[in-house]
Amino acid sequence: MKDVVPLSKATDTAIFGSKAVGLGDAERKGLSVPPGVALSGAIVEAVASGDERAIERVLKSVQPLNRPLAVRSSAVDEDGAEASFAGQHLTLLNVPSSAEVSSAVREIWWSANSDSAITYRQRVGLFARPSVGVVVQTLLDSDVAGVMFTLNPMTGADECVIEASWGLGEAVVAGLVIPDYYRIDRSARVLERKAGRKKRAIRSVAAGGTVEEEVAPNLVEQLCLEDDQLAELHGLALRCEEVYGPARDIEWAFANGTLYLLQCRAVTRVGI
Amino acid sequence: MPGAPIEAVQRVPLFADLDRHEVEQIARLFKERHFAEGETVVREGSGGAAFFLIVSGEATVSVGGAPRRTLGPGDYFGEIALIDEGTRSATITATSELDCYGLTFWDFGPLVQENGAIGWKLLQSMAKKLRAAEQGAPPS
Repeated sequence: MKDVVPLSKATDTAIFGSKAVGLGDAERKGLSVPPGVALSGAIVEAVASGDERAIERVLKSVQPLNRPLAVRSSAVDEDGAEASFAGQHLTLLNVPSSAEVSSAVREIWWSANSDSAITYRQRVGLFARPSVGVVVQTLLDSDVAGVMFTLNPMTGADECVIEASWGLGEAVVAGLVIPDYYRIDRSARVLERKAGRKKRAIRSVAAGGTVEEEVAPNLVEQLCLEDDQLAELHGLALRCEEVYGPARDIEWAFANGTLYLLQCRAVTRVGI
Repeated sequence: MPGAPIEAVQRVPLFADLDRHEVEQIARLFKERHFAEGETVVREGSGGAAFFLIVSGEATVSVGGAPRRTLGPGDYFGEIALIDEGTRSATITATSELDCYGLTFWDFGPLVQENGAIGWKLLQSMAKKLRAAEQGAPPS
Protein backbone atom coordinates (compact mmCIF):
# COMPACT_ATOMS: atom_id res chain seq x y z
CA MET A 1 0.00 0.00 0.00
CA LYS A 2 1.25 3.47 -0.88
CA ASP A 3 1.31 6.00 1.94
CA VAL A 4 1.83 9.05 -0.27
CA VAL A 5 -0.08 9.41 -3.55
CA PRO A 6 -1.06 12.18 -5.97
CA LEU A 7 -4.57 13.41 -5.17
CA SER A 8 -5.95 11.64 -8.25
CA LYS A 9 -4.89 8.30 -6.70
CA ALA A 10 -6.47 8.95 -3.28
CA THR A 11 -9.52 6.66 -3.31
CA ASP A 12 -9.79 5.14 0.18
CA THR A 13 -11.22 7.36 2.94
CA ALA A 14 -10.11 4.88 5.61
CA ILE A 15 -6.50 5.52 4.57
CA PHE A 16 -6.38 9.12 3.32
CA GLY A 17 -9.47 10.72 4.90
CA SER A 18 -12.53 12.25 3.29
CA LYS A 19 -10.97 15.57 2.25
CA ALA A 20 -8.19 13.88 0.25
CA VAL A 21 -10.57 11.42 -1.40
CA GLY A 22 -13.09 14.19 -2.16
CA LEU A 23 -10.38 16.19 -3.93
CA GLY A 24 -9.24 13.01 -5.66
CA ASP A 25 -12.81 12.43 -6.92
CA ALA A 26 -12.83 15.99 -8.29
CA GLU A 27 -9.56 15.44 -10.17
CA ARG A 28 -10.74 12.12 -11.57
CA LYS A 29 -13.90 13.83 -12.86
CA GLY A 30 -11.95 16.63 -14.52
CA LEU A 31 -12.65 19.47 -12.07
CA SER A 32 -9.88 22.03 -11.54
CA VAL A 33 -8.18 21.37 -8.22
CA PRO A 34 -4.83 22.85 -7.10
CA PRO A 35 -2.14 20.20 -7.60
CA GLY A 36 -1.33 18.17 -4.52
CA VAL A 37 -0.58 14.91 -2.76
CA ALA A 38 -2.40 12.90 -0.10
CA LEU A 39 -0.61 11.47 2.94
CA SER A 40 -2.09 8.48 4.76
CA GLY A 41 -2.86 8.54 8.47
CA ALA A 42 -0.02 6.05 9.01
CA ILE A 43 2.67 8.19 7.39
CA VAL A 44 1.38 11.32 9.15
CA GLU A 45 1.80 9.54 12.49
CA ALA A 46 5.30 8.38 11.44
CA VAL A 47 6.28 11.95 10.46
CA ALA A 48 4.92 13.25 13.78
CA SER A 49 7.07 10.62 15.53
CA GLY A 50 10.18 11.96 13.81
CA ASP A 51 10.71 8.88 11.61
CA GLU A 52 13.45 10.03 9.20
CA ARG A 53 12.47 7.68 6.36
CA ALA A 54 8.85 8.81 6.50
CA ILE A 55 9.90 12.48 6.53
CA GLU A 56 12.19 11.89 3.54
CA ARG A 57 9.40 10.22 1.57
CA VAL A 58 6.98 13.06 2.26
CA LEU A 59 9.52 15.75 1.36
CA LYS A 60 10.35 13.95 -1.90
CA SER A 61 6.67 13.71 -2.82
CA VAL A 62 5.96 17.43 -2.29
CA GLN A 63 9.14 18.55 -4.11
CA PRO A 64 7.44 18.91 -7.55
CA LEU A 65 4.63 21.13 -6.18
CA ASN A 66 4.87 24.86 -6.77
CA ARG A 67 5.43 26.95 -3.63
CA PRO A 68 3.95 28.12 -1.36
CA LEU A 69 2.02 25.14 -0.03
CA ALA A 70 -1.18 24.63 1.92
CA VAL A 71 -1.10 21.74 4.39
CA ARG A 72 -4.58 20.60 5.44
CA SER A 73 -5.92 17.88 7.71
CA SER A 74 -7.95 15.07 6.20
CA ALA A 75 -9.07 13.07 9.22
CA VAL A 76 -10.62 9.73 8.52
CA ASP A 77 -13.88 10.63 10.27
CA GLU A 78 -13.68 14.32 9.38
CA ASP A 79 -16.64 16.07 7.70
CA GLY A 80 -18.84 13.02 8.25
CA ALA A 81 -22.58 13.41 8.48
CA GLU A 82 -22.57 12.59 12.20
CA ALA A 83 -19.90 14.98 13.32
CA SER A 84 -17.91 17.62 11.53
CA PHE A 85 -14.36 18.19 12.69
CA ALA A 86 -14.22 21.54 10.94
CA GLY A 87 -12.43 23.94 13.24
CA GLN A 88 -10.92 21.16 15.35
CA HIS A 89 -8.20 20.09 12.97
CA LEU A 90 -5.65 22.46 11.63
CA THR A 91 -4.99 23.89 8.19
CA LEU A 92 -1.65 25.59 7.67
CA LEU A 93 -1.64 28.02 4.78
CA ASN A 94 1.46 29.24 3.00
CA VAL A 95 4.09 26.78 4.15
CA PRO A 96 6.97 28.36 2.24
CA SER A 97 9.23 25.39 1.56
CA SER A 98 9.16 21.62 1.60
CA ALA A 99 11.57 21.67 4.57
CA GLU A 100 8.77 23.10 6.72
CA VAL A 101 6.24 20.53 5.59
CA SER A 102 7.25 17.95 8.20
CA SER A 103 6.69 20.35 11.11
CA ALA A 104 3.36 21.40 9.54
CA VAL A 105 2.35 17.73 9.32
CA ARG A 106 3.34 17.24 12.97
CA GLU A 107 1.26 20.25 14.02
CA ILE A 108 -1.74 18.84 12.19
CA TRP A 109 -1.25 15.48 13.88
CA TRP A 110 -1.24 17.26 17.24
CA SER A 111 -4.36 19.26 16.34
CA ALA A 112 -6.19 15.94 15.98
CA ASN A 113 -4.76 14.90 19.35
CA SER A 114 -5.29 18.17 21.19
CA ASP A 115 -7.31 18.74 24.36
CA SER A 116 -10.06 20.49 22.39
CA ALA A 117 -10.23 17.67 19.82
CA ILE A 118 -10.53 15.01 22.52
CA THR A 119 -13.20 17.06 24.34
CA TYR A 120 -15.12 17.32 21.06
CA ARG A 121 -14.75 13.58 20.46
CA GLN A 122 -16.13 12.84 23.93
CA ARG A 123 -19.07 15.20 23.32
CA VAL A 124 -20.11 13.73 19.96
CA GLY A 125 -19.54 10.09 20.92
CA LEU A 126 -16.46 9.52 18.73
CA PHE A 127 -14.11 8.73 21.58
CA ALA A 128 -11.58 6.69 19.60
CA ARG A 129 -7.97 7.10 18.58
CA PRO A 130 -7.97 9.65 15.75
CA SER A 131 -6.37 8.90 12.43
CA VAL A 132 -5.46 12.01 10.52
CA GLY A 133 -4.45 12.10 6.88
CA VAL A 134 -3.01 15.22 5.31
CA VAL A 135 -3.40 16.96 1.96
CA VAL A 136 -0.46 19.07 0.72
CA GLN A 137 -1.39 21.36 -2.16
CA THR A 138 -0.02 24.36 -3.97
CA LEU A 139 -1.51 27.42 -2.26
CA LEU A 140 -3.25 29.57 -4.85
CA ASP A 141 -2.63 33.28 -4.77
CA SER A 142 -6.32 33.91 -5.31
CA ASP A 143 -7.80 37.22 -6.43
CA VAL A 144 -11.29 36.36 -5.21
CA ALA A 145 -12.46 33.38 -3.20
CA GLY A 146 -15.27 32.19 -1.01
CA VAL A 147 -17.94 29.59 -0.38
CA MET A 148 -20.94 28.38 -2.35
CA PHE A 149 -23.96 26.29 -1.36
CA THR A 150 -25.95 24.44 -3.99
CA LEU A 151 -29.08 24.90 -1.94
CA ASN A 152 -29.93 27.89 0.21
CA PRO A 153 -28.58 26.94 3.66
CA MET A 154 -31.00 29.32 5.42
CA THR A 155 -34.27 28.53 3.60
CA GLY A 156 -33.58 25.21 1.88
CA ALA A 157 -34.62 26.78 -1.46
CA ASP A 158 -33.29 25.10 -4.60
CA GLU A 159 -30.81 27.84 -5.58
CA CYS A 160 -27.08 28.55 -5.33
CA VAL A 161 -25.88 30.89 -2.61
CA ILE A 162 -22.42 32.39 -3.04
CA GLU A 163 -20.35 34.40 -0.55
CA ALA A 164 -17.22 36.02 -1.92
CA SER A 165 -14.41 38.31 -0.87
CA TRP A 166 -10.97 39.50 -2.02
CA GLY A 167 -7.83 37.39 -1.52
CA LEU A 168 -7.83 33.98 0.17
CA GLY A 169 -11.19 32.40 1.04
CA GLU A 170 -10.25 32.13 4.72
CA ALA A 171 -11.53 35.73 5.14
CA VAL A 172 -15.03 34.41 4.37
CA VAL A 173 -14.68 31.08 6.19
CA ALA A 174 -13.34 32.76 9.34
CA GLY A 175 -16.03 35.48 9.29
CA LEU A 176 -13.43 38.25 8.98
CA VAL A 177 -15.51 40.24 6.48
CA ILE A 178 -19.10 40.80 5.47
CA PRO A 179 -18.78 39.07 2.10
CA ASP A 180 -20.62 39.82 -1.12
CA TYR A 181 -23.79 37.76 -1.32
CA TYR A 182 -25.27 36.27 -4.50
CA ARG A 183 -28.23 33.98 -5.24
CA ILE A 184 -28.48 32.16 -8.57
CA ASP A 185 -31.34 29.92 -9.72
CA ARG A 186 -31.06 26.57 -11.51
CA SER A 187 -31.15 28.24 -14.93
CA ALA A 188 -28.13 30.45 -14.01
CA ARG A 189 -30.25 33.59 -13.58
CA VAL A 190 -28.85 35.90 -10.92
CA LEU A 191 -31.65 36.46 -8.39
CA GLU A 192 -29.78 38.71 -6.00
CA ARG A 193 -26.39 40.38 -5.68
CA LYS A 194 -25.54 42.34 -2.58
CA ALA A 195 -22.18 43.99 -1.96
CA GLY A 196 -20.63 43.29 1.43
CA ARG A 197 -18.13 45.30 3.43
CA LYS A 198 -14.83 43.63 2.67
CA LYS A 199 -12.45 45.80 4.68
CA ARG A 200 -9.81 43.11 5.16
CA ALA A 201 -8.24 40.47 2.93
CA ILE A 202 -6.02 37.52 3.83
CA ARG A 203 -2.96 37.15 1.63
CA SER A 204 0.03 34.83 1.76
CA VAL A 205 3.42 36.34 2.59
CA ALA A 206 6.73 35.31 1.08
CA ALA A 207 8.33 34.23 4.37
CA GLY A 208 5.42 31.89 5.16
CA GLY A 209 2.06 32.17 6.85
CA THR A 210 -0.62 34.67 5.98
CA VAL A 211 -1.33 38.28 6.78
CA GLU A 212 -4.49 40.36 7.06
CA GLU A 213 -4.35 43.37 4.79
CA GLU A 214 -6.57 46.42 4.48
CA VAL A 215 -8.55 46.45 1.27
CA ALA A 216 -8.35 49.62 -0.85
CA PRO A 217 -11.33 51.87 0.06
CA ASN A 218 -12.82 51.75 -3.45
CA LEU A 219 -12.95 47.92 -3.34
CA VAL A 220 -14.53 47.53 0.10
CA GLU A 221 -18.11 47.76 -1.17
CA GLN A 222 -17.45 46.91 -4.81
CA LEU A 223 -18.85 43.56 -5.98
CA CYS A 224 -15.94 41.19 -6.47
CA LEU A 225 -17.54 38.82 -9.00
CA GLU A 226 -18.46 39.62 -12.62
CA ASP A 227 -21.33 37.95 -14.47
CA ASP A 228 -19.03 35.55 -16.34
CA GLN A 229 -17.47 34.45 -13.04
CA LEU A 230 -20.92 33.87 -11.55
CA ALA A 231 -21.76 31.74 -14.60
CA GLU A 232 -18.57 29.72 -14.04
CA LEU A 233 -19.44 29.22 -10.38
CA HIS A 234 -22.93 28.10 -11.35
CA GLY A 235 -21.34 25.56 -13.72
CA LEU A 236 -19.06 24.36 -10.92
CA ALA A 237 -22.07 23.92 -8.61
CA LEU A 238 -23.83 21.73 -11.19
CA ARG A 239 -20.69 19.64 -11.79
CA CYS A 240 -20.16 19.17 -8.06
CA GLU A 241 -23.75 17.93 -7.68
CA GLU A 242 -23.18 15.49 -10.57
CA VAL A 243 -19.99 14.18 -8.99
CA TYR A 244 -20.88 14.22 -5.28
CA GLY A 245 -24.68 14.41 -5.09
CA PRO A 246 -27.10 17.20 -4.15
CA ALA A 247 -26.77 19.85 -1.42
CA ARG A 248 -23.07 20.70 -1.53
CA ASP A 249 -21.02 23.15 0.53
CA ILE A 250 -18.15 24.27 -1.72
CA GLU A 251 -14.99 26.30 -1.17
CA TRP A 252 -13.65 27.86 -4.37
CA ALA A 253 -11.10 30.40 -5.59
CA PHE A 254 -10.30 32.35 -8.75
CA ALA A 255 -6.56 32.63 -9.43
CA ASN A 256 -5.13 34.08 -12.64
CA GLY A 257 -8.52 33.81 -14.30
CA THR A 258 -9.08 30.12 -13.49
CA LEU A 259 -11.74 28.83 -11.12
CA TYR A 260 -10.53 26.14 -8.72
CA LEU A 261 -12.42 23.83 -6.41
CA LEU A 262 -10.78 23.81 -2.97
CA GLN A 263 -13.21 21.65 -1.03
CA CYS A 264 -16.65 20.11 -1.48
CA ARG A 265 -18.67 18.54 1.31
CA ALA A 266 -22.30 17.88 2.15
CA VAL A 267 -24.42 20.66 3.61
CA THR A 268 -24.86 19.43 7.17
CA ARG A 269 -27.61 21.79 8.35
CA VAL A 270 -30.36 23.87 6.79
CA GLY A 271 -31.96 26.77 8.65
CA ILE A 272 -30.79 28.37 11.88
CA MET B 1 15.30 6.50 16.40
CA PRO B 2 11.96 8.33 16.34
CA GLY B 3 10.42 9.57 19.58
CA ALA B 4 11.90 11.35 22.58
CA PRO B 5 15.59 11.10 23.58
CA ILE B 6 15.98 8.10 25.90
CA GLU B 7 17.95 10.14 28.45
CA ALA B 8 15.11 12.69 28.71
CA VAL B 9 12.55 9.96 29.37
CA GLN B 10 14.84 8.21 31.85
CA ARG B 11 15.09 11.43 33.92
CA VAL B 12 11.30 11.41 34.52
CA PRO B 13 10.77 9.95 38.02
CA LEU B 14 7.83 7.97 36.66
CA PHE B 15 10.10 5.95 34.40
CA ALA B 16 13.30 6.07 36.47
CA ASP B 17 13.21 2.45 37.71
CA LEU B 18 12.63 0.89 34.31
CA ASP B 19 15.38 -0.84 32.41
CA ARG B 20 16.80 0.67 29.23
CA HIS B 21 14.78 -1.55 26.91
CA GLU B 22 11.52 -0.52 28.61
CA VAL B 23 12.50 3.15 28.49
CA GLU B 24 13.31 2.79 24.79
CA GLN B 25 9.85 1.39 24.15
CA ILE B 26 8.24 4.30 25.95
CA ALA B 27 10.48 6.94 24.34
CA ARG B 28 9.41 5.72 20.90
CA LEU B 29 5.78 6.63 21.71
CA PHE B 30 6.54 10.27 22.46
CA LYS B 31 6.12 12.96 19.81
CA GLU B 32 7.77 16.35 19.75
CA ARG B 33 5.58 19.40 20.31
CA HIS B 34 6.47 23.06 20.36
CA PHE B 35 4.52 25.82 22.11
CA ALA B 36 5.12 29.52 21.52
CA GLU B 37 5.75 31.90 24.42
CA GLY B 38 2.43 32.89 25.96
CA GLU B 39 0.56 29.92 24.48
CA THR B 40 -1.84 28.01 26.71
CA VAL B 41 -0.52 24.47 26.81
CA VAL B 42 -3.45 22.96 28.73
CA ARG B 43 -6.53 24.71 30.05
CA GLU B 44 -8.19 23.92 33.39
CA GLY B 45 -11.57 22.26 32.78
CA SER B 46 -10.77 21.01 29.27
CA GLY B 47 -10.57 17.30 28.44
CA GLY B 48 -7.04 15.89 28.49
CA ALA B 49 -5.43 14.45 25.38
CA ALA B 50 -1.77 14.10 26.28
CA PHE B 51 0.89 13.87 28.95
CA PHE B 52 3.89 16.16 28.38
CA LEU B 53 7.54 16.10 29.30
CA ILE B 54 9.39 19.43 29.10
CA VAL B 55 12.70 19.35 27.25
CA SER B 56 13.47 23.05 27.22
CA GLY B 57 11.78 26.29 28.26
CA GLU B 58 9.48 27.19 31.14
CA ALA B 59 5.79 27.16 31.90
CA THR B 60 3.61 28.28 34.81
CA VAL B 61 0.92 26.26 36.52
CA SER B 62 -2.19 28.06 37.74
CA VAL B 63 -5.37 26.82 39.37
CA GLY B 64 -8.47 29.00 39.35
CA GLY B 65 -6.33 31.84 38.02
CA ALA B 66 -3.88 31.67 40.96
CA PRO B 67 -0.27 30.88 40.04
CA ARG B 68 1.03 27.74 41.78
CA ARG B 69 4.50 26.94 40.46
CA THR B 70 6.89 27.03 37.55
CA LEU B 71 7.79 24.05 35.43
CA GLY B 72 11.09 23.57 33.59
CA PRO B 73 13.16 20.98 31.76
CA GLY B 74 12.60 17.47 33.13
CA ASP B 75 9.20 18.31 34.62
CA TYR B 76 6.12 16.51 33.39
CA PHE B 77 2.43 17.28 33.57
CA GLY B 78 -0.98 16.27 32.28
CA GLU B 79 -1.18 12.74 33.59
CA ILE B 80 -4.21 13.22 35.88
CA ALA B 81 -6.80 13.86 33.16
CA LEU B 82 -5.42 10.91 31.22
CA ILE B 83 -5.95 8.58 34.15
CA ASP B 84 -9.52 9.50 35.10
CA GLU B 85 -10.61 10.69 31.61
CA GLY B 86 -11.70 13.82 33.41
CA THR B 87 -10.83 17.42 32.88
CA ARG B 88 -7.53 19.26 33.29
CA SER B 89 -6.96 20.22 36.92
CA ALA B 90 -4.77 23.25 36.15
CA THR B 91 -3.90 25.69 33.40
CA ILE B 92 -0.35 25.58 32.10
CA THR B 93 1.01 28.50 30.11
CA ALA B 94 4.31 28.64 28.27
CA THR B 95 6.36 31.55 29.66
CA SER B 96 9.09 31.06 27.04
CA GLU B 97 9.42 29.07 23.85
CA LEU B 98 8.58 25.60 25.15
CA ASP B 99 9.73 22.31 23.65
CA CYS B 100 8.01 19.22 24.93
CA TYR B 101 7.53 15.60 24.11
CA GLY B 102 3.95 14.41 24.40
CA LEU B 103 2.42 11.00 24.93
CA THR B 104 -1.25 10.83 23.98
CA PHE B 105 -4.09 9.34 25.96
CA TRP B 106 -4.25 6.52 23.41
CA ASP B 107 -0.64 5.48 24.07
CA PHE B 108 -0.44 6.40 27.76
CA GLY B 109 -3.32 4.16 28.95
CA PRO B 110 -2.05 0.86 27.51
CA LEU B 111 1.48 1.73 28.65
CA VAL B 112 0.43 2.09 32.30
CA GLN B 113 -1.94 -0.88 32.15
CA GLU B 114 0.80 -3.14 30.82
CA ASN B 115 3.59 -1.95 33.08
CA GLY B 116 3.16 -2.40 36.82
CA ALA B 117 6.33 -0.46 37.66
CA ILE B 118 5.03 2.63 35.88
CA GLY B 119 1.63 2.17 37.50
CA TRP B 120 3.24 2.02 40.96
CA LYS B 121 5.30 5.16 40.31
CA LEU B 122 2.17 6.90 39.15
CA LEU B 123 0.36 5.85 42.33
CA GLN B 124 3.18 7.23 44.45
CA SER B 125 3.06 10.51 42.56
CA MET B 126 -0.73 10.70 42.95
CA ALA B 127 -0.51 9.94 46.69
CA LYS B 128 2.05 12.71 47.10
CA LYS B 129 -0.23 15.17 45.34
CA LEU B 130 -3.23 14.06 47.39
CA ARG B 131 -1.30 14.49 50.64
CA ALA B 132 -0.11 17.93 49.56
CA ALA B 133 -3.67 18.93 48.64
CA GLU B 134 -4.98 17.68 52.03
CA GLN B 135 -2.36 19.74 53.80
CA GLY B 136 -3.29 22.77 51.72
CA ALA B 137 0.14 23.10 50.22
CA PRO B 138 0.78 23.45 46.50
CA PRO B 139 1.66 20.03 45.04
CA SER B 140 5.36 19.47 44.47
